Amino acid sequence: MKFKAFLTDHGVNLLEKRFLQALDKMGKVCHLYLTRDHAIFLHNLLNGDGIQSIAQFRKEALFEDYRISSQNDDRIAFTIDLSLLHRALRSIVTIYTEFGGSHSSDAGGPTLNRLQIKLVKKLPPHSQQPMPFLTFETKGYKSAVIQDVPISKPLSRSDVLELQAALDMAQDLPQTLVQVPDMNQLQNFVDRMKHVGDVLSVSISRYGDLHLQISTTLITLGAEFRKLLVIGEQAQVPTGDDSLSAQSRTRRAIERGDAMSVQVSVKHFFKSLQCHLAKPDCAFYGIGQQGSCLTVVFQFFVPGTRQTDKSISLHCRLPVLDPGAD
Amino acid sequence: MLGIETEKRRDFGGKGMSSSVVEPESPDLVCELDNVQGMVDALTSVRWKRHQDAVLELSEHGIVLIVEDTGCLQAKVYLQRELFVRYEYSAQGQPRFGVSLGLFVDCLNTFCIPGHSSTIEFQYPGPDMQLLLKSTDSLSACTYAEIRTRIPDTISWDYNFVPAGSIPINFTVKSAALKEAIDDLEWPGSSIQIILQPAPPSVTFKAEGHGDLQIDFMYYANTDLLAAFNCDQIVSHRYKYKFLRATTSNIPSSVIKDNRGSKVTIGRGGMLKVQHLVSVARPSNSHPHIDSAGYQQPSRIAYIEFFVKPEVDEEN
Repeated sequence: MKFKAFLTDHGVNLLEKRFLQALDKMGKVCHLYLTRDHAIFLHNLLNGDGIQSIAQFRKEALFEDYRISSQNDDRIAFTIDLSLLHRALRSIVTIYTEFGGSHSSDAGGPTLNRLQIKLVKKLPPHSQQPMPFLTFETKGYKSAVIQDVPISKPLSRSDVLELQAALDMAQDLPQTLVQVPDMNQLQNFVDRMKHVGDVLSVSISRYGDLHLQISTTLITLGAEFRKLLVIGEQAQVPTGDDSLSAQSRTRRAIERGDAMSVQVSVKHFFKSLQCHLAKPDCAFYGIGQQGSCLTVVFQFFVPGTRQTDKSISLHCRLPVLDPGAD
Repeated sequence: MLGIETEKRRDFGGKGMSSSVVEPESPDLVCELDNVQGMVDALTSVRWKRHQDAVLELSEHGIVLIVEDTGCLQAKVYLQRELFVRYEYSAQGQPRFGVSLGLFVDCLNTFCIPGHSSTIEFQYPGPDMQLLLKSTDSLSACTYAEIRTRIPDTISWDYNFVPAGSIPINFTVKSAALKEAIDDLEWPGSSIQIILQPAPPSVTFKAEGHGDLQIDFMYYANTDLLAAFNCDQIVSHRYKYKFLRATTSNIPSSVIKDNRGSKVTIGRGGMLKVQHLVSVARPSNSHPHIDSAGYQQPSRIAYIEFFVKPEVDEEN
């Protein structure tokens, strides 16, 4: 099993300044799944509990001279601690840029520095057993500088198959997605809502209404965003609904079959909004088929345009709480 | 509950329409505030415990919120009607109801958008005697809340504050300095003695526990610190630290920034009254040339009052 590649400056920027901090909020440990064409960070795909997060990069978005080979169809997967990865990358990038990385002032010197990433097996200190590492290497002042990030034993063939199957299922997007109006405002709101209750009802209509509500015995608190951009299956805005309260509007929409409603944990919802650290250009919410999950899809534009950058994708799936007897 | 319901049935007599048909009742109060953050600041200043039950009293003059602790400490927040952009009062009598203070403030906080003055509409009662809140900022986004209320089981204890003598005994001190002094007085771990004396005119805070600490405010030394002082006889009383601390622990930062003063009065029997002023105005960043430090329109101020009972000495 072999993996070796060089991180491009774009890749370094994407990971070190944007994605790793966002993904770290989804969970400290995740799977890193490398294939012939993609590098994918996966959270909670194999265990049922928390937020599932899928951050997928085409290899060109992050690397050049990408080489991978394994007996499992050139696929390699392992778990890694994101905070360790982030720290290692940050520290090696400092050296890389200082010594001839293309950001440095003496770029254009005889040899341009490169930042290599590869899978190795090494003897860690105080151990007789070689362990796998994801290793970063670059040239420093006089010698090579190496940062080793410990990783799990690579997944077996059957585990990789399971991971791929879970990934295929997770790629299933809801039929209707509504655009989040203002991520900052939503995040601010949910951050404060957290103090009021634990369970959040999320209702999404096919004509662009997003309605969030927390309801406890002592308080009902909600926010409604209307006339949002809709992607996918749409419906006409019904007339005569304007004068209703938000709750009545949502109730009617659900009765008509124009909207769906699920309950999620407020903490999960707030966590999913932390993906704003990856600096997406916009975000969309949708409810999976039969209310199976709440999905948030983040969209990235090609810099300077409004075209979707298809080499990067990030989305999260929040588990739905059983409403129980109401 | 039923008793209150029947009390509230009435027609639109006040609007000049007299009819025998039962019209839908208008709520006791519908009012609108254009700066929620200000109200959050004012109410936060009377939070000293995680769980506090508050009583709200509505009248044509405004809203008063009252919180109490074990009969020794009471705080009141006065939000007079002039603070509100709209204030439509049509109750018979003065409705009173209880809410959880922490919940109320946390809820109001969700209506605050940083860097933006949020407008909020209050309505009481809702169909189920709830307190209804709604943000009226935008046509395509709204925030709403319904807070359960309860019938308060005790009449708010009237602390019956009476001046100590014919000359009131009080002083006005910079709020920031008062807060700092009380914060510092924590470490001796004892009750706090407050001594006012006319000659030299000064206020002394004293604590004697595992260590002693004494803080003096001299009237003539620094009129910036002690802006006013009235005292014709030596007065000395002790107060439990945690109750004194409650009077300044959550002073909003706007009070410190606006350089406000707090008025402290000692009444008959040593009852302590501490008064603060909290600005409920819009943040004035649109008018950088106006000096916001001192002057504020009186109608944009919420008045906060604390009453603290003195510790009863064993001897005498």
